[in-house]
Amino acid sequence: MSAGAASSPGPVPARGAPIHCIVLVKQVPDVSNIPEDAWDLDKGTLRRGMLESILNPLDLHAVTFARSITAARPGSRTVYLTMGPPQACDVLVDCMARAPGDGVLLTDRGFAGADTVATAYSLACAVRRIERDFFEGSRDYVIVAGMQSVDGDTAQVPPQIAQELEIEEIAYVTSPTVAPPFDVRRIGVGGTETVRPTRLPVMLTLTACSEPLYRSFHATRAARRVSIHEWSAASVQAAPERIGLRGSRTQVVQLFSPTASQERHCVFAHTPEELVALIEERYRQEPAHRVRPAGEAYVLGDRTPAYRGEFWVYIEREGDRIRDVSLALLGRARLLADPLGEAVGAVVTGAGLGGLGDELVAHGADRVYSIEHPLLRQPVPSIHAGVIAGIVRERKPQAMLFGATPLGRELAPRVAYASSCGLTADCTALEIGDLTKSGQTQVAILKQTRPALGGNIMATIVTRTSVTQMATVRPGVFAVPAGDPARVGEIVRLLPDLPPDAIGVEVVATEQIAATSSIRDAEVLVAGGRGLRSRAEFEALLRPLAANLGARLGAPSDVAASRMAVEDGYAGRDRQVGQTGQTVAPRVYVALGISGAVQHVSGMQQAGIVAAVNRDPRARIFDHADLGLVGDIAEIGPALIRAAEVTAHGGH
Amino acid sequence: MADIDVLVVGAGPAGLATAIRLGQRLQGDGRDASVVVIDKAAAPGYHNLSGAVVEPGVLDELLPDWRTDRTRFADHVTPVERDELWALSARHAVRVPPRAVPPTMRHAGDAILSVSRLVAFLADRADRLGVEVYHGFAARGLLIEDRRVRGVRLVDLGLDAAGRPRTNYLPGEEVRAGIVVVADGSRGVLSAELDALDRSVPEASVADDRGSAAGRAGSAAGHRTAGRGAGARDVQVYGLGVKAVLQFPGGSPLGAGRVVHTIGYPTRRGVFGGGFIYGMGPKTVAVGLLLGLDWRFVDLDPRVEYEAFRSHPFVAALLEGGTSIATGARTVPEGGYYALGPLDAGGALLVGDAAGFVDEARLKGVHTAIRSGMCAGDAIADALSSDAGVASAGARYRGLLAERGILDELRRARNYRQGFRWGLVPGAALSLIGGRLPVHLRMPPDRSATRVRAHLDRRLPAGADGSAFVSLTGTAHREDEPSHVALVDPARCVACGTAGDAACTHFCPGEVYRWTGTQIVVSASNCLHCMTCTVKCPADNIRWVPPEGGEGPRYRQL
Repeated sequence: MSAGAASSPGPVPARGAPIHCIVLVKQVPDVSNIPEDAWDLDKGTLRRGMLESILNPLDLHAVTFARSITAARPGSRTVYLTMGPPQACDVLVDCMARAPGDGVLLTDRGFAGADTVATAYSLACAVRRIERDFFEGSRDYVIVAGMQSVDGDTAQVPPQIAQELEIEEIAYVTSPTVAPPFDVRRIGVGGTETVRPTRLPVMLTLTACSEPLYRSFHATRAARRVSIHEWSAASVQAAPERIGLRGSRTQVVQLFSPTASQERHCVFAHTPEELVALIEERYRQEPAHRVRPAGEAYVLGDRTPAYRGEFWVYIEREGDRIRDVSLALLGRARLLADPLGEAVGAVVTGAGLGGLGDELVAHGADRVYSIEHPLLRQPVPSIHAGVIAGIVRERKPQAMLFGATPLGRELAPRVAYASSCGLTADCTALEIGDLTKSGQTQVAILKQTRPALGGNIMATIVTRTSVTQMATVRPGVFAVPAGDPARVGEIVRLLPDLPPDAIGVEVVATEQIAATSSIRDAEVLVAGGRGLRSRAEFEALLRPLAANLGARLGAPSDVAASRMAVEDGYAGRDRQVGQTGQTVAPRVYVALGISGAVQHVSGMQQAGIVAAVNRDPRARIFDHADLGLVGDIAEIGPALIRAAEVTAHGGH
Repeated sequence: MADIDVLVVGAGPAGLATAIRLGQRLQGDGRDASVVVIDKAAAPGYHNLSGAVVEPGVLDELLPDWRTDRTRFADHVTPVERDELWALSARHAVRVPPRAVPPTMRHAGDAILSVSRLVAFLADRADRLGVEVYHGFAARGLLIEDRRVRGVRLVDLGLDAAGRPRTNYLPGEEVRAGIVVVADGSRGVLSAELDALDRSVPEASVADDRGSAAGRAGSAAGHRTAGRGAGARDVQVYGLGVKAVLQFPGGSPLGAGRVVHTIGYPTRRGVFGGGFIYGMGPKTVAVGLLLGLDWRFVDLDPRVEYEAFRSHPFVAALLEGGTSIATGARTVPEGGYYALGPLDAGGALLVGDAAGFVDEARLKGVHTAIRSGMCAGDAIADALSSDAGVASAGARYRGLLAERGILDELRRARNYRQGFRWGLVPGAALSLIGGRLPVHLRMPPDRSATRVRAHLDRRLPAGADGSAFVSLTGTAHREDEPSHVALVDPARCVACGTAGDAACTHFCPGEVYRWTGTQIVVSASNCLHCMTCTVKCPADNIRWVPPEGGEGPRYRQL
């Protein structure tokens, strides 16, 4: 569509000059406060209608962030934009109660049933109209959005809007820098980065960062009285075939409850050594997330599959090695492709392949596509997405998988959008199956299963009206296959043309230290409760145990605390797990001296392996643990630390 | 200056009835005035809890079309079909013959409902009448100038635990209005301020226009109660209701519409109270215990009492197969007629539990809350259209309360609760004649009833999970805000805990207080806003102020 085809992005205005903000907000069900009565006990499912509607929590940060930009630059305007049914104007009023701005509600029956692609397109059309109507054609603006919404948790819409508008996206933004020029801080691979957009507009997606602004009573009253701009699909010149259900490229085919996989039966160890050994054994055996075991291999027979072509995996590198998630996906792609007699392709972008080709072939690739250009040395999603989408359009694989890593989550939505394909984010299961609907059977399609509504339900999704079925997959879901050096494969080098000014952002500084560590990033989390009797004991036992266990399992580790322990001053608030603290889902959760109150359990029940140590054999924590050990922490703790030491590894 | 004509603080049954009545009158009169209701809860009904068996006639008076409302609220109102009173011993239950049940405890014609749902319904109706209803805004205190109430100041937002402003600090806003209606419920912070304002009136003026509300309204009704000034009011006494809603996937053994009240177990001598089990619907049952806060035992834990009640064989059989899906607790003013607070002070009106409008014989306050609110709404509407303006609303309000028999109802029930101070048998005997006694039986404040040597030593029954209670209330507070529950003199708490008492660690249904062996630790984030601590701390050493708006419990069908 040429609707509002805008001039190319321009340079960033000088210090203090206005920079307008478009804040994307969304009304979502409140999944952090699920009342018990929202569960249908007969069916074991969640009744979405029983949840409160709220402003997506991360969008609050976007509102706050935008305010800090406009407050520093007089003359800057703010427009809050949302899409939804008429009652979604509540979230616009909520925003205006926190910081001044205009509200635009994109509402039309035609938008119903939109997936992320159709949503992104519709919102991009509205952004173009906002540029004309509110900013008088000025391109000096930023689009600010929460990184993801709690209901879908997909983080796809902002990058896809950026793709539609052909602008850069800066993800994982934490704060604007106060002093001009216009820089933002973000959590990058190497730590906290200061990133400078070299042209506007730019899409900024925020991860939780600021202390969000409150609603003012008087502003709330005032917001109730001003009129919200209601825009229809036609009024933003959105093409009817690209919006709503018609424009969608994915479709939910099944919803089911994840609870069945959450039951735990505690196996008690008799000694600290045995407990550590059991943790390690389970860690090595089990997939990181509790997924249903893979079913039997698919049998195609003589039927005609709905899709043909290779299964591709995007390969992520970390220095000169390949990330585990990419190798694991290669293994999975192999299993998906074999019953269909298809080949597996590994897609690498960068300045050159180096010596990685053999390893990729050994792990299951039949073809390695190495897309090479000096500019691809920089981890800027827009240019990588552009070249990947180019070969997807050209070679038409039937599926493409990305790791749901920070890079994958930025890249995949843009690739999917640019190649007109559907994408399912954050999958925890992938399998080939048939789908029969209204008498018609689609043979051998990729069924993509992911958690939704904050992990409270599972959804199986299939791709529609796309050449390639695309998905991002959570790290740790699939095991890394053993490499086979005898495998043979082909290496295909591709050398795209990129204009020298292809990149619209530059990293101006990186602080290597203190990538604001969050307990949610740890794969091994050792948590202490009131069974630890002092801060000294907490420090003396938890940190060494977390360090030793982490080293032994080869995974990042950290320490956390129950509310009681935090209140008693053993640890800071940022380490609190539970209803009022953080919800964590590490692969290993070790609970020391934690009684297992419901409030705590609700914050850790999605962990992979739960091991508990408590003096009281009837402590409730054991009902929520896979492994247990009864005893006093003060006595057992040092033995646990010793048992977890890497040097003791050979003994098991 | 004040662009709000009428500000109602507290969106419970009383506050919303005030706003609805006012909205109806303004619509009828074709007048334009802005009516604003604010409430600290995140959403309508979240801070409202009651039994509740209610006489539906009061809804007919307020909203004659409530049964056919498009929101289908009436679907959740279940007529009482069976009505029983049982006496429990530790193991057994005996039904009290229907003829022996006091008239105040009969419920034919009443209906079972959730007051949280009722409030959500009323909030929606108020909104449709043009009333502005705002949730998530907590009033910290009244704006009083020249002894007149001019509005409220909201709670400061965005302070850290030490009280320092964070980057998002928003100082408490002033909300000014022509007239303020205080409807902040049982033991409300603003009603306490008004009580103090009223009590501080010089004696001389008591005689003319500012007499005790009860006294003067009484005279308006023709009773001989003149001369009772504000200082003569009894101190308010309270009860604590602890309640759960249970769900039965296959249908409850109790059945819809059945009302069971109990006396006896688990309460012992020195504890006034009773249990209730209401069939809210075919698959839903409300169960709870109402305890007078004048209990003696220093270690009485209302949640443990509630679990003991639930574990009684008679009760357990009625609840077989049920799962708790929601819990909550709230105080209720039980002092009745003699403890009725000021009905207006400084130009502000008090309605519902904030004023103490609970029929102490029936222990019911929803209907009196709504009726008092309707009187306030009518009084303000009358005042707005009179020459005297809102200044005349207080007198009109008191007059309407008397005219409509609301004070009479409370007066008939006077001395009812008081008799139970001496135990169940004398209490029951007195309760039948108390309303006719020429004497005024006085109650001491609840906190003074606690006896440090009196121990109940009740254990949580086997199989009961005490920890789920707080979780099922849905309560939440920002962890790093200044504690809204403060120990006035922590040294006194150390002494109290060292002596082995620490009554707060037992009486608080939210487990807010914990004795570490050396000090009392306050977990304000657990708070249920029930206000028990402000009534029951033996040393009166706990101060409660509203936290940031939108926090606290999330009751949806309690």
